Amino acid sequence: MGAVAKKELKQYFHSPVAYVCIGVLMALFGFFYTQVLISGSSSNISYVYSNMFVWCMLVIPILTMRTLSEERRNKTDQALLTAPVSTMGIAGGKFVGAFSIYGLAMTMSLIPAVVLSFVGKPNWGMIFGEYLGALFFGMAMTAIGIFVSSLTENPVIAAIGSLGIAIFLMVIDSVSSAVNNPVLSKVVSWISFSTRYQQFTSGTFDISSVVFFLSVTVAMLFLTSRRLESRRWN
Amino acid sequence: MIEVSHLTKRYGPNTALVDVNFSVEGSGVVGFLGPNGAGKSTTMNIITGYLSATSGTVNVEGHDILDDADEAKRNIGYLPELPPLYMDMTVEEYLGFLFDLKKVQKSKKEHIGQICRRTGIDQVYTRLIGNLSKGYRQRVGLAQALLGDPPVLILDEPTVGLDPKQIIEIRNLIKTLGKTHTVILSSHILQEIEVTCGRIIIINNGKVVADGTQEELAETVEPQRLLVEIEAPKAEVQESLKNLPHVEDSELMGEAEPGVWKFSLKECGDTRREVFQMCKNEDWTLLSMSGRHNTLEDIFLRLTNGTVDNRIGDRSGKSGNSKNVRSTVANAVGYTVPETDEDLAREQDGKADNDASVKEDS
Repeated sequence: MGAVAKKELKQYFHSPVAYVCIGVLMALFGFFYTQVLISGSSSNISYVYSNMFVWCMLVIPILTMRTLSEERRNKTDQALLTAPVSTMGIAGGKFVGAFSIYGLAMTMSLIPAVVLSFVGKPNWGMIFGEYLGALFFGMAMTAIGIFVSSLTENPVIAAIGSLGIAIFLMVIDSVSSAVNNPVLSKVVSWISFSTRYQQFTSGTFDISSVVFFLSVTVAMLFLTSRRLESRRWN
Repeated sequence: MIEVSHLTKRYGPNTALVDVNFSVEGSGVVGFLGPNGAGKSTTMNIITGYLSATSGTVNVEGHDILDDADEAKRNIGYLPELPPLYMDMTVEEYLGFLFDLKKVQKSKKEHIGQICRRTGIDQVYTRLIGNLSKGYRQRVGLAQALLGDPPVLILDEPTVGLDPKQIIEIRNLIKTLGKTHTVILSSHILQEIEVTCGRIIIINNGKVVADGTQEELAETVEPQRLLVEIEAPKAEVQESLKNLPHVEDSELMGEAEPGVWKFSLKECGDTRREVFQMCKNEDWTLLSMSGRHNTLEDIFLRLTNGTVDNRIGDRSGKSGNSKNVRSTVANAVGYTVPETDEDLAREQDGKADNDASVKEDS
């Protein structure tokens, strides 16, 4: 798993993908920090992160789109699958690689807050909560992206597929309010990423949300490893 | 050691392999031959654990490829048909990655350096794989298979895209490796199999149709024939030849020159001296005598096409069509090339007219 993760990280920085994704996220963070702190004259940094939720969800599919689809297309998966590594190890390595890029971008988003601490007193507890929340939903979305990437040989289709899922997970709240059936509505809002993330932005560290995001991650990576396994049989 | 037993692979309604059995023990190079789509690559992919068989088992060095996958895979070096290379990595990074991936327990720098020298890629070590020529890429792929020095090597067409000098180098390398490793090599180049492989497995339509050394295969396909040209009255020679003690059958192939008759003798032993004595006694002139061995090409075409015809083609009439190697060989072995193959040859050579005349001749 370590070898795959290391190789993934290297490849992200060999291609422009890592730079572009981190750069775009940084630019957006800069924009929202400016909006909140200067234009809005507010110190409510959680507003920055709740705005960034949408953009993060949209950038992650770009990071994960080629993880497994390209290996399949270039037949490099032959090296991976004939090496003494489990399919879970491959999926895990891919996940660690892609998530590291996202994690790096999120960590860098703390720089403005650090700068802020020189001139003021930001609410570090809340910022840290936001940061953790962003990492947790990022994990789940990365795992989903990797799973979608394992389904196709075409990175573009993988990107569109996981973008579709990301958008669905974001707009699901309005779906839940439109649904009359109370049980269905409950289920729909239960899987909503934004509702779960709002727990973090409102300053509560909700264990059930953490468990939810971690479960989605593990389940998706498990499905990915099953998918890699199943390719052998057809 | 590799043990393949009762391997069957179906892709939906298509059956790629049917009950494939063979085992390779000890060191040596085994040639894996077959026409396109015969199931060579599928077999190799199953042995290496990239694909799984619909039924049947593969055992590598005592480890089942499914139940004990990691151990089995550790013992295999695999060069697939298309080397699994990352174009955006340098050779150094790539081999480093695979070294880690294969969990090789050796000194990294030393081991990789050694392999690079062996495969002749030390000069391109720091270059991007995407910028390398096909020959170098192929050699990087081979280097990757050698990482960790696995006892079993599976090489799917290792010399594709190499120049003649490199081909000889890689063949020598494979031969050297064959002294200490179990090597399974597939190739379309029959000459390559002929010079590198001790044992040959021929696969056709997903079935193993022959397995043995080249000599053994030659025996099973057709016994050797002796071609003689004698200047003498036709009927008398024919009669005398048939009466020779070690001649099973003699066949008149035609008149090579006016008054000179060409015969093909089916032998059951050595008949050369008998033929000479006969000519001497009868005062006939023996103009030529030549044995025709089954080349690997003959064996291959014979076993993979399946059509058998007892007629021996007349080779003398075809000097003008020497370019059409397939037909010449086919006729020499004594069977007709199937319609489709002949069409193929015609397309390739653009010799439609010549081909037609070959047909008439035979």
